[in-house]
Amino acid sequence: MTTVATSAPRRSSGQLGRRVRIVTGVAVTLLFLFPVFWMVLTSFKHQVDIFTSPPKFFFTPTISTYVEYFRRADIERRLINTVIVAAGSGLLSIVVGTMAGYALARIRIRGAATFGVLILLSRGVPPIALAVPMFLVARQLGLTDKHITLILAYSTFLIPYVMWLMRSFFLSLPRELEESAMIDGCSRYGAFFKIIMPISLPGLISTLIFSMILAWEELLFALVLTNRVASTIPVAIAGIAGDTINGANWGALTAVGTITVVPVVIFALLVQKWLIQGLADGATKG
Amino acid sequence: MGTVDIRNIRKSYGNVEVLHGVSLHIRDGEFVALVGPSGCGKSTLLRMIAGLEDITAGDIVISDRVVNHVAPKDRNIAMVFQNYALYPHMNVRDNMGFALRQRRMPKPEIESRVDNAARILGLERLLDRKPRALSGGQRQRVAMGRAIVREPNVFLFDEPLSNLDAKLRVQMRSEIKELHQRLKTTTVYVTHDQIEAMTLADRVVVMNGGVIEQQGSPLELYDHPASRFVAAFIGSPPMNFIEGTVVNGTHVRLEDGTTIHVPVTNLGGQARVTIGVRPEHFELSNAGWPATVSVVEPTGSETQITARMSGQIVRILIRGRTFVRPGEVIHLTVPPDLIHIFDDSGTPSIHAITRGIKQHA
Ligand SMILES: Nc1ncnc2c1ncn2[C@@H]1O[C@H](COP(=O)(O)OP(=O)(O)OP(=O)(O)O)[C@@H](O)[C@H]1O
Ligand SMILES: [Mg+2]
Repeated sequence: MTTVATSAPRRSSGQLGRRVRIVTGVAVTLLFLFPVFWMVLTSFKHQVDIFTSPPKFFFTPTISTYVEYFRRADIERRLINTVIVAAGSGLLSIVVGTMAGYALARIRIRGAATFGVLILLSRGVPPIALAVPMFLVARQLGLTDKHITLILAYSTFLIPYVMWLMRSFFLSLPRELEESAMIDGCSRYGAFFKIIMPISLPGLISTLIFSMILAWEELLFALVLTNRVASTIPVAIAGIAGDTINGANWGALTAVGTITVVPVVIFALLVQKWLIQGLADGATKG
Repeated sequence: MGTVDIRNIRKSYGNVEVLHGVSLHIRDGEFVALVGPSGCGKSTLLRMIAGLEDITAGDIVISDRVVNHVAPKDRNIAMVFQNYALYPHMNVRDNMGFALRQRRMPKPEIESRVDNAARILGLERLLDRKPRALSGGQRQRVAMGRAIVREPNVFLFDEPLSNLDAKLRVQMRSEIKELHQRLKTTTVYVTHDQIEAMTLADRVVVMNGGVIEQQGSPLELYDHPASRFVAAFIGSPPMNFIEGTVVNGTHVRLEDGTTIHVPVTNLGGQARVTIGVRPEHFELSNAGWPATVSVVEPTGSETQITARMSGQIVRILIRGRTFVRPGEVIHLTVPPDLIHIFDDSGTPSIHAITRGIKQHA
């Protein structure tokens, strides 16, 4: 290998590097996709086909597991709940976190840096340590098993996340953009909404997506803070996984798992055109 | 009407004062260049005029209105930044029209102003491009266009040409000058390039360490630098400085013991002095200050000679051609009215030449 690489002319070694990169990329992608693929495959199998050895790639597909568990695990309601909670906490966090991140990046506030680090450190507290106190507070306020409770709970970790990401994005933008806008007739808010927001849109949307996914798959708070009315999909999965009286119900697990993943994939496909757009290039000397 | 009156302005960041009381009156239509070494406070002063930095002490008056607490958008000024700060998500047309849209000016009027500015700057064919599809020079022009369409009271420029290559810089320099002659808008122009300042400005303000060292027309500063700092800063190649001790009124003994005759009368009792001579003011002669030639650089129209005089390097600029060779000892004379003499501290000059006043008054 080494001799080939060193004796080969520059161009072909470049092509070799390119091939290595492509192969690695494909391998990593397959590595990550295979469990998902297997999950989807399993979810369409009859109970008898799930544990065959060697595993079956070809079988008579069925949607019976889906039909059964949609009813039994109250999937429809949970799906709606999960959408509400993920969208609600994602949007709330993006609004609050972006503005906080902007303030930390741009406005001269005494102790802003310390403040920012403190907010970030709050994420270092293990969620399990917060779950019980949160439950007690929620019960006191009569807020258990409500969407708003989960939305607020998720925002406690999503806001610092958004704030920190957007802060570093804003720091990467030249200050003169807003200054120019402020000279051109904007207030600080005007400059933020008319100039900074449109430029930040791709970054903003990817942050929003990641936030929503974090909320979408969250289990612990949902388990502690909801019961039936506002319960989410991960709670259902945990319920199925925990119900081992007749052995693990792989059919149900994979079916509900597939239901959990599909909306995320669709959502990501819908917004991807925003993700690949260039960021703030061309603003300055370049 | 665009006058700017800066009254004893101070600026501190925390405990550090960076502007120590600056006063400057800029007349309507005047082109003032602020020059000085890096960190002397030029940008800070400009940004205070723009309203981007608050004022620690003093007053800034724009067109007879104290603007200390007036927001940038209400000062009717336009600013061109060093990095241009074009809005990346807007095309050239929208970039230029942004301020006008903010003012809710009627569309046709915005269009005609943008088109007009685009014509002046040669941007007509680029109006639909995004900034990222422009070259550095084109971006610079768009930034200027954005300022022009505003028809502001005052233009503020912060090193607008420093990101361009040398050739483009010279070209844009003359375009800016032409623009100013056409629009006659009061302009404050920050640069650390003294040539830019000298060629563009009606008045050059030399700053150093947060104070104004000297201000005046470009030729006043060239002819009568009030301090060694200004003398060294203005003029290219820079002025030569030769240190020595006054011996008897009209002679100065240099460090290596050579004594040169300084044909001026008011040397007074200063013990140690610095003699300043611009390279172009030396003349070769048969008798005079001795110097040993080390390098001769002919450019055709002139010849630059580097020589050693009392262990110090001096630069000499001779019109046309000369036949001196490296190693040769030459003798230099300087017309008496072109010799600058600075006292020991280097600050106030104790002798000012008179020729310039007669010529330019
Ligand atoms: N935000 C700030 N906080 C603290 N000090 C600052 C700040 N901005 C500027 N300074 C200091 O103020 C002084 C003047 O800065 P300024 O930017 O006005 O210099 P300048 O003359 O424009 O220099 P340059 O030619 O490098 O642009 C410098 O010493 C700088 O370190
Ligand atoms: Mg500066």
